[in-house]
Amino acid sequence: MNEFVETLLDLQWHEPKSTYDVVIIGGGGHGLATAYYLATRHGITNVAVVEANYIGSGNSGRNTTIIRANYGIPESVRFYQHSLDLYSTLEEETGCWIMHATKGLLWLAHTETAMRSERARCLLNTACGAETVMVDPQAAKAICPQLDLSGGGRYPVLGASHHVGAATARHDRVVWAYAQGAMRMGVHVLQNTQVTGLLRDGERVTGVQTANGNISAGVVLSAVGGNVTTIANHAELRLPVRTHPLQAFVTNGYAQSLGPIISDTELFCYVSQTARGQMLIGAEFDPQPSYSTQSSFNFLQSCTSKVTHLLPFLKNLRILRQWTGICDVSADFSPIIGHTGVDGLLITTGWGTWGFKAIPAGGSLMAELIATGKTPPLLEPFGLDRFASDQALADQGSTGTR
Amino acid sequence: MSRIVVDGRTIPYESGDSVAMAVLRAGEHPHHGGALCLAGDCPNCVCEVDGIAYVRTCQTPAKPGLVVRRHPEVGAPEIREPAQPNVARSPAAAHIEVRRIETDVVVIGAGESGRIAEAEAVAAGRAVTVLDSADGNEVVAIYGGPTVIVRRPDAMVHYNANEVVVATGAAEIQPVCPGNTLIGIVTARAADQMHTAGVDLGVAVAVGTPPQTAPCMAVPGSLVRIVEADGKLSAVVVSHDGNETTTPCDTLIVGLGFAPRDVLSRMAAPHLPVRTVGQAAERFALPPCPTAGIVCPCSKIGVDDLDGVWDRGFRELELVKRASLTGTGTCQGSVCVPHLRAFIAERSGAIPEPFTARPATRQITLAEAAADVHTDVFRRSPLHDEHLALGAQLDRFGGWWRPWNYGDHVAEYWAVREAVSLGDVSTLGKLVLSGPDVVELLERLYPTTVADIKPGRSRYVLLLNERGHLIDDGMICRETDSKFVLTFTSGGAANAEMWVRDWIETWGLRVHVLDQTMSLAAINVTGPLAGELLQRVGLADQPSFLHHVHATVAGVACHVMRLSFTGEASFELHHPADRSAELWRALMASGRDLGVKPHGLQALFGLRLEKGHVIVGMDSEMDSTPRRLNMDWAVKMDKPDFLGRSALARTADLPDERRLFGFTVEGAAPTEGSPIFSDGAIVGHVASSFTSPLLGHGIMLGWLKHTPWPEQVQIDGRTATVARPPFYDPEGLRARA
Amino acid sequence: MLALETLHGTRIVAAPEALDALDAATWSTSVTVLRFAPDDVFVLGAETISISGEYAIVEAESGFVGCWLTDEQLAHVAEHIDWPLPVERPVLVQGFVAGVPAKIWLTSSATGERSLLLCAAPYACELTERLA
Ligand SMILES: Cc1cc2nc3c(=O)[nH]c(=O)nc-3n(C[C@H](O)[C@H](O)[C@H](O)COP(=O)(O)OP(=O)(O)OC[C@H]3O[C@@H](n4cnc5c(N)ncnc54)[C@H](O)[C@@H]3O)c2cc1C
Repeated sequence: MNEFVETLLDLQWHEPKSTYDVVIIGGGGHGLATAYYLATRHGITNVAVVEANYIGSGNSGRNTTIIRANYGIPESVRFYQHSLDLYSTLEEETGCWIMHATKGLLWLAHTETAMRSERARCLLNTACGAETVMVDPQAAKAICPQLDLSGGGRYPVLGASHHVGAATARHDRVVWAYAQGAMRMGVHVLQNTQVTGLLRDGERVTGVQTANGNISAGVVLSAVGGNVTTIANHAELRLPVRTHPLQAFVTNGYAQSLGPIISDTELFCYVSQTARGQMLIGAEFDPQPSYSTQSSFNFLQSCTSKVTHLLPFLKNLRILRQWTGICDVSADFSPIIGHTGVDGLLITTGWGTWGFKAIPAGGSLMAELIATGKTPPLLEPFGLDRFASDQALADQGSTGTR
Repeated sequence: MSRIVVDGRTIPYESGDSVAMAVLRAGEHPHHGGALCLAGDCPNCVCEVDGIAYVRTCQTPAKPGLVVRRHPEVGAPEIREPAQPNVARSPAAAHIEVRRIETDVVVIGAGESGRIAEAEAVAAGRAVTVLDSADGNEVVAIYGGPTVIVRRPDAMVHYNANEVVVATGAAEIQPVCPGNTLIGIVTARAADQMHTAGVDLGVAVAVGTPPQTAPCMAVPGSLVRIVEADGKLSAVVVSHDGNETTTPCDTLIVGLGFAPRDVLSRMAAPHLPVRTVGQAAERFALPPCPTAGIVCPCSKIGVDDLDGVWDRGFRELELVKRASLTGTGTCQGSVCVPHLRAFIAERSGAIPEPFTARPATRQITLAEAAADVHTDVFRRSPLHDEHLALGAQLDRFGGWWRPWNYGDHVAEYWAVREAVSLGDVSTLGKLVLSGPDVVELLERLYPTTVADIKPGRSRYVLLLNERGHLIDDGMICRETDSKFVLTFTSGGAANAEMWVRDWIETWGLRVHVLDQTMSLAAINVTGPLAGELLQRVGLADQPSFLHHVHATVAGVACHVMRLSFTGEASFELHHPADRSAELWRALMASGRDLGVKPHGLQALFGLRLEKGHVIVGMDSEMDSTPRRLNMDWAVKMDKPDFLGRSALARTADLPDERRLFGFTVEGAAPTEGSPIFSDGAIVGHVASSFTSPLLGHGIMLGWLKHTPWPEQVQIDGRTATVARPPFYDPEGLRARA
Repeated sequence: MLALETLHGTRIVAAPEALDALDAATWSTSVTVLRFAPDDVFVLGAETISISGEYAIVEAESGFVGCWLTDEQLAHVAEHIDWPLPVERPVLVQGFVAGVPAKIWLTSSATGERSLLLCAAPYACELTERLA
């Protein structure tokens, strides 16, 4: 048996019930982590995670696994740094090998404007506890010898911010770590159960309708990734969220050679090498909103062109697979977590193209909110009501590179 | 005789040989074992060929001098740096040819079903292209369109078709049993190929359906295990009627049935006109559930691994795949999917559908994907060469190359403050609007009153979106009752043009728009001696502040706008792009004794900061209302309507903690972006900063986002004081001078 | 190497019907009428142009550079276009040429006229380099 299999823990499936204290729609990282923390931290185990497909079938099993905290506003840096910290102890806590590896991340800048942003990022992040330092081109090259500092003669590297604590972890193993932990505590995970509507008592949401029958719930949490608008629709809730496809691709496996994660703030592309030696490469989300998960050749063309300008050693690597996820992108590029204004319905959304790194923090804080009824301070800024009160958390500049 | 180089040794080959066949002919194995299909399905012949790893050698014709390296037996192949330099050419991979072909029908696969599909289409009078890897056309993927991406030895070919027919036939089932990764196993069709090529199979034993031509001894029964001696197979154990027999052999030939080669069909989006015909569309019986051996040769996953994940509760096909990594390797499941399905069918009692296929089936390199992709174009102002001649350090800003400085931004700064300086502002957005509804349009578009601007006058304006957030700023210049010239920021120009056109369309107004952004160049002549310089080059009647005139300057027809961003008297000369260098040189020459110097963005950013002028996108944020920017003066809420008005009205009474402030600090200015602290907590950040040569200390614009707003803050470990911009010439006398 | 030179002419934005008349008018051979959009035309070579409609925008235009192409040059340019060229002639096509926003006035070589490749002046250098 290989080490990947040997190190897996058990998933314990249960027969569904018709009532739970908490029903979580969506068996992605956020849904399962919330269930896990409800059970392990708050003793709330009468919980069902209702998943349309199989666990991790959404973006949590499709992402490029970058875990970092170098955001552009203090609220976000603190939140993501908390998540980074939780990630670094997750293996110990759950006993699951999630292949967590701290690699550091270089964000390359090619213009004075970009240098300015990166300098700012370093100062803010370091002040908020996410160590990030400015490095000159030579230092960047020392960190990543494969870098072409001339950027293919087109995008010369003027400098980079080096986010020291950035890491990667195997995406679906994170999902399973939380699933196993939650199931072991008695949480029910119901796969192949699509939620098709919400049960209402007047305004209040009292449960979910599914293809396999109704399930009533004390509280319903929507954690459905790119499908959030359809769930919100069932509650006549309009969200400032648009769904955009995001594509990525991976090469075959090669001998380990790329140490850090390389990301580019102008070209919006990024690369890291997985534990299996594959180069995991992505770029910005597709500009047109869509629920389609079809990959496009245009994406592959532009993304390969960009990364090979920076890292010409990638040119001869062969592309193994390309795929697409659909991302819930909020109007201000920050997550929306908490109450919805509809009694009984909570949401965790707006994770867009950057929510994998947020799974531990998002799950644990959401669990705390559900269990205590009080919004934890780290979550306070991220409520849906911020849009109506014009207190958006604009941070587009931090999201393009996942 | 021609030769290829394999692991440093030369190997002869015969004409028509693939690399794999040449290696087999030499009595070796191209990889490290496993059943060879020689049909491009399995991963058991992949090698590094001419520096590119994971090449299916059975699909690669042998060519003189080809350098082949086996992958390491354990671990992944090394990365070979490409030989070609990373040149500054666009496209960067121009050495790979790309052909784009429009065609009616593409048939993939030139086998029997492919030929039938071709004949049908031809009979229907349609143009058909048949693609088969045997002819060097490796189909990589089918994308939307449908577009079929094909890799050929000499080029990448992109076919745009009206219809695609997948006629890729069936792949042979690979054996799964102990010993199935040994050297010496081939499928029946591979055996025939080898026999035809004259490769000696030695003592060959066939299990299952025997090959058609290759001589062998057929052993009845089902495969139990394959026995090893000296690192390769020595015998095969077969069970027949409950008896196990061991047959020694050099080659084991397996004929275990077929699975549809339907990856391309499963990859194509459901709505695409893609049909699958022949064996590729057939539903073959699954092989028996595997009990031991390697199921997935790409990732070396055994039946014990499948058992392991099953026992741990991973039961969906996708979960079994992801947990065991079966089917995630180079062959994209060609080998393992039938066995995986059989495994799950037996364990669960239901046959699962195969998992979604994703590009690519046949692999291409990143360079091959990028082959014809051009990088973004960077625009050059008509004064580009002038800047270079003056020693400018250029930087890209808003999609343009612009002078960042000319070597000494402080000297440039002083030229503006004390003499006269030229700035290239050709990159500003410039729209001409004309029409009976133009005032109506502008009144709705801008929060300022527009109707009261007289011809010959201009006004600074904010552009807001529906949320009342600043998206751009610029000037409105009124030419006549029904004609205006609008300017926008360099970075915002493209969006602003779309914005204006969209609203004209949406509101159904009668307004013509001409975008002159790239047609007109513009030079900003600024400084206390600007007027004098312009006098010298023929601008006698000079417009006063916020006026504009059309006049000839140094022989060039100019639209002269009097305004000020630097804080000094400034004349923006908008003029035909082709005359720009001439005008620039005339100004430089006539102003020599006045001390004229060009200034770059670096000096400009400092100059305007002394005046407290906001740069959209640098100081403003995505959600900056005029109030947050202290620019309520630029908004006339008493107008009945304008874009953003209702949002501003709604949010006016909401508590708001966000505000852009000015700050001063002793000594040099802190770095832009520095966090601002109050009582040890972060309360905001510095948006822009500048060490003012004139004031002798640091000045800043920065955000405070927590109330009560402090009067003193800590930045960069120093005390900074909240101040009200402008930091320089608060009455604006110099700009009006 | 293609030599892109400034194209002098008149840019007119006006009601589509008014511009249709320009399109339909007979011009001397030295004049080329390039219809950029239904309401936007670039007239090359004409001295004066009269246009109906009091709100029409008529401006001297020197912001484009261009090159009249031989058949071989046109074929060379076409290799850098990844979209299908129409068969109709004469026709103005607009799109990326070697990744640069450009336009081509395609004429029929049967009449001996040359085709014109043009782009906004700020793109001239990159277009020339990319087509070299
Ligand atoms: C290509 C790509 C790369 C990315 N890279 C990164 C990265 O590097 N770093 C990073 O931090 N983030 C990254 N992300 C974003 C990240 O993957 C997501 O933000 C994160 O996984 C969201 O988790 P989730 O649990 O909210 O949603 P998901 O994982 O999408 O889970 C939602 C689940 O809800 C289920 N569901 C939907 N509708 C229903 C219904 N009606 N009933 C029941 N169940 C339903 C879905 O099947 C799905 O399993 C990337 C995303 C993509 C697509």
